[in-house]
Amino acid sequence: MKSRLAVLGAALLFLQPLTAQYRTALPGYRFEFPRDYFDHPDFQTEWWYYTGNLKSSTGHRYGFELTFFRAAVSRDAVPSETWDVKDLYLTHLALSDLDGRHFYYKERVNRAGPGIAGVSASKGRVWNGNWQIQWQGTDQKLDAVEREFQLNLNLHPQKPPVVHGENGVSQKSGGAGQASYYISLTRLAASGELELNGEKLEVSGLAWMDHEFFTHQLDPDQIGWDWLSLQLDDNTELMLFRIRRKNGSVDPYSAGTYIDLQGKSTHLRAADFMLQPLTESWTSIDTRATYPIAWKIAIPKLEIELEVHTALAAQELVGKTKIAPSYWEGAIYLEGKRGKASLGGVGYLEMTGYDRPVRLSPQP
Amino acid sequence: MGRLFLFYRLMIRPLLKEPVRAALTIFAVTLGVAVVLAMDLAGNAATGSFRASMETLAGDNDLEIVASGGVPEAIVGSLATLPYYIRISPRMEDSAVLADSNQTLPLIGLDLVAEANADGGGRALVTSSDKTFETNEDTIRQLQKADSIWVGASLGKKLGDRVRLLINDQVREFTVRGVYPDSNGSESAVVMDLATAQRALNRFGSVDRILLNVPEPPALDEWEQRVRAILPTGVEVRAQGTGTIENRRMLAAFRWNLQLLSYIALIVGAFLIYNTISVSVVRRRPETGIVRALGASRNAVLVAFLGEAAFFGVTGALFGLPMGRLMASGAVKLMAATVESLYVSSRPGAIALSAWSVALAFVIGVGVAVVSAYSPAREASLVSPVEAMARGRREYKTRVHKSRDLLLALVLAIAAAGASRAPAMQGKPVFGYLAAILLVAASALAVPAFTDAILSQSSRWLGKVLGVEALLGSQSLSASLRRTSVLVGALSTAIAMMVSVGIMVGSFRETVLIWMNDRLPADLYLRPAGAPAPDRHPTVSLELADKISKLPGVAGIDRLRAYEISLDGMPATLASVDLSAFRRDNQSSFLSGRPTAQVLAEIRDSKAVLVSEPFTYKHHVRAGDSITFSLGAARPSFRIADIYYDYGSERGTILMDRQTMLRYLPDPTPSNLAIYLMPGTSLEAARNEILQASSGYRVLLASNRDLRAEAIRIFDRTFAITYALEAVAVIVAVMGVAGALLALVIDRRREIGLLRFLGASAGQVHKQILVEAGLLGLLANFAGLALGFALSLVLIFVINKQSFGWTIRFHWPVAVLLGAISVVYAATVLSGLYPAQVAVGLNPLEAVHEE
Repeated sequence: MKSRLAVLGAALLFLQPLTAQYRTALPGYRFEFPRDYFDHPDFQTEWWYYTGNLKSSTGHRYGFELTFFRAAVSRDAVPSETWDVKDLYLTHLALSDLDGRHFYYKERVNRAGPGIAGVSASKGRVWNGNWQIQWQGTDQKLDAVEREFQLNLNLHPQKPPVVHGENGVSQKSGGAGQASYYISLTRLAASGELELNGEKLEVSGLAWMDHEFFTHQLDPDQIGWDWLSLQLDDNTELMLFRIRRKNGSVDPYSAGTYIDLQGKSTHLRAADFMLQPLTESWTSIDTRATYPIAWKIAIPKLEIELEVHTALAAQELVGKTKIAPSYWEGAIYLEGKRGKASLGGVGYLEMTGYDRPVRLSPQP
Repeated sequence: MGRLFLFYRLMIRPLLKEPVRAALTIFAVTLGVAVVLAMDLAGNAATGSFRASMETLAGDNDLEIVASGGVPEAIVGSLATLPYYIRISPRMEDSAVLADSNQTLPLIGLDLVAEANADGGGRALVTSSDKTFETNEDTIRQLQKADSIWVGASLGKKLGDRVRLLINDQVREFTVRGVYPDSNGSESAVVMDLATAQRALNRFGSVDRILLNVPEPPALDEWEQRVRAILPTGVEVRAQGTGTIENRRMLAAFRWNLQLLSYIALIVGAFLIYNTISVSVVRRRPETGIVRALGASRNAVLVAFLGEAAFFGVTGALFGLPMGRLMASGAVKLMAATVESLYVSSRPGAIALSAWSVALAFVIGVGVAVVSAYSPAREASLVSPVEAMARGRREYKTRVHKSRDLLLALVLAIAAAGASRAPAMQGKPVFGYLAAILLVAASALAVPAFTDAILSQSSRWLGKVLGVEALLGSQSLSASLRRTSVLVGALSTAIAMMVSVGIMVGSFRETVLIWMNDRLPADLYLRPAGAPAPDRHPTVSLELADKISKLPGVAGIDRLRAYEISLDGMPATLASVDLSAFRRDNQSSFLSGRPTAQVLAEIRDSKAVLVSEPFTYKHHVRAGDSITFSLGAARPSFRIADIYYDYGSERGTILMDRQTMLRYLPDPTPSNLAIYLMPGTSLEAARNEILQASSGYRVLLASNRDLRAEAIRIFDRTFAITYALEAVAVIVAVMGVAGALLALVIDRRREIGLLRFLGASAGQVHKQILVEAGLLGLLANFAGLALGFALSLVLIFVINKQSFGWTIRFHWPVAVLLGAISVVYAATVLSGLYPAQVAVGLNPLEAVHEE
């Protein structure tokens, strides 16, 4: 779960107060794949989140993010026409040239219209214009065209989908329905082509897919969160998030998931792990927000101790339209150990609510 | 020093002595230059630099995708997912009328969500200036409200204002959710989201245009090919603004004709300069002789006289510039009205007084002056000093070669006849105008012989009828034949222009009246309220059409539907109509002359169409030819079954059966209804019935008679500018006559003085001058009528036909012509009043003393 919330939530916020029109995420949902990889129009908010660390054949490192948000705007019963805005599709595309020390990002918002954007289970497709995911069997083809770069990847899942949380729900605060359905593909073998500023590169690496859908609001005392996806060199993965409260404390609904070698997942409660910023920080010129860009992680029951660092401090996405809030989302690398053995890895870090509190719905 | 002295002695001093005459000549040049300049500026603004109103907010894009009847909207999705970095902007483009002020505005539907994707966050599509229409989260929030509109600031609306808009035949209320900056009202429009626009227009499933912004390289051609590859047959991709260019192309001939018409005022001005310089040459013979005797070369004299002409030219141009600019503001309104009624709804561009226009004014002013002064100036330079200074030979006997000139006139007239048979060059009747110019030249050459013949015949009985003063006047005109001829030539050219255009417009009007009798067979016509324009086709609700067709007094209705299409790089109108049995028109309105019923049977539910007469000229086709054009997603071919007369629009129209059109463009909503009543139903009763049925709709119901009146009103408005041009030419000519008579009087002061000395009363002198003015007017009227008739034939059958493709039946608009000629005649005689006054005021003693 994550910032995605933030972004998306913001899109929503002006759109409509939550109404009984939408379902909420309650325990007991029966996940069905591949159907649940696609859209759930009964829920107000939904996203598909692709991030990954790539390396070119020349050894250059890149990070990428392609995130599709669906924010339901209206479910009015009147006969609807093609251009009616039933959902807003907001998509973020980012490329981190880690060695070239450059961060590219772009925001795109569309309505479904006549096939401009959307999600189709029958076509196995999630798209916003020419940024799209096309499912082929269990593989996903990722294609995105931007002014400076074009990314074409094949993503091959090496583990089955993970359902986060307990009883199938990832609880975000107290109260029924203050939760999301949250699934991930935590280890996708990525390979393909990156064309950057006219230069074509063969790239390969590891990617991660998150898919989450829900109808809820954040507790007004929750101002933002920090989220990490970690792909460890020993073929296990971790997902961790902590929700920050107004008073500076960490929300008890912070949680995580550990995925072992075989793909079996273990839910981690707030008490099971420690996630703390180190001193290193980066201040954005655009938003003046100061992000802690190095972190310390400890999960005693797994004997894991890690430090999180990034090769590129400037990986902030600034919502130019103000439809989405600004957040930091970037490629990271890990150094640490499990038990006695040293352990490294790569991952993605997301930090929200550093420029202003993230709101998912209008405050009274 | 010597040169300057020469110039002063020969030119400036005489000019200063006769300020009125100099002023009149300058004023004539001023008017000529002003008219040409005004036409150029106004033509540029109204037809050249105008942007089709639909280009409002179109921003700077590279390509556009269009299709007859609309681009299927699925194409937007296909384009959006192409693996290229391109920006696409689908648009609905129509019009809406502000219900409270009746102002018609472009209605533009945009994808206001996607507009947020522009670089720089919330970009603008939009105004041509660097001002922008920004989409932001607020815009998106307002999208959910179905009554949201955005308007240009120049409309003076505020956020939250309620605005009532007439769209098609319904008035709906909208709320202003945002105001975008626009520049001085030339770009204001009503902007809606696509969803709102489609609902408001009740047109779903297609958009009117898709704009594309593509990176370079590759070249635009390459992009066109890439895009074309995914488009259905009937959908076209082309450079953005092609529509505007096509409109300009369509308007080119119209503009060209107006411009040439304006040159006639200049030709009249040229006659006057010729006359003025001729008079100067005669008047200054002694001075010329003196300076020649003092050693001035022939060239110096030539240059001096040309210098005088150039002075007139420069001064005239100086005054003509501001005056032309002023006249352009008026002309642009008239022209825009014509463009609106005949061609396309447009907004005239700003009037731009460029360096080029200034140069044009001076080139024209000075050029015309120098060229027309050359011949008299040369004559002056050929005068030998002795001859010029000889006493007693005050009147310069002009060498008029009557028979030689007459022969030349005949040759020119024959050449004119030849030129009138030549075809148009690139749609422009170049040879038609050549024929007109040749005719004017021929007439100028024939005028001396004509004047001489008439005057020598008239002198005798004039003396008997009007007394000795008239005899003297007539003989004095006859004596200075050349000067008289020039005056008659100038005035008759102006009159000829007036007469020819009068005949052309009168014939045209009559033709239209007759045509409307055939063309408007129904009893009542219904269309959506709002100002009509040839390229706007608002629709009538289907339910209303059905309701009306079922009213008891109604025998049946014809539903007409029109679309704008592009064909061979030119806009055209595509219309369909029910070929119902209600039509009662028996007369053929087809070029082939075949019975209407037979022609209609041929196109009923078939791949045959009718085209309008202007269409055949615009697209170079004939009956039997095949035309292919985009229609919906297809590109079918049709055979032209016949050609019908159409004086209602110059755009060119393709007419097909309603059933045929519905196969390609399935929208059944009509643009107009023609309503046929049951025999015996009273028009008033039916009208009330229909109006009642139409409550809740905003439609205009016109009877057959109303419609004709309206058509003629538009017709007259269309030709307002032509009348204005004529008036200027006539004013120039009449002023020329006044100036020339004045010169004549001053020139003949010795003669007049002698007459007074010999006992002529002031009244007699007065009468003589007025008789001369009257005679001049009479001669000019006769010559003008004859030339005007010949010119009208060229105008009607060559120039009009080649530029517009209208068949006009010749008709003498007797009343109009008589009225106009009387006014000119009266003006000519009145223009003799002042010179007569001057003549009377001459001191006989002083005059004779010179002797």
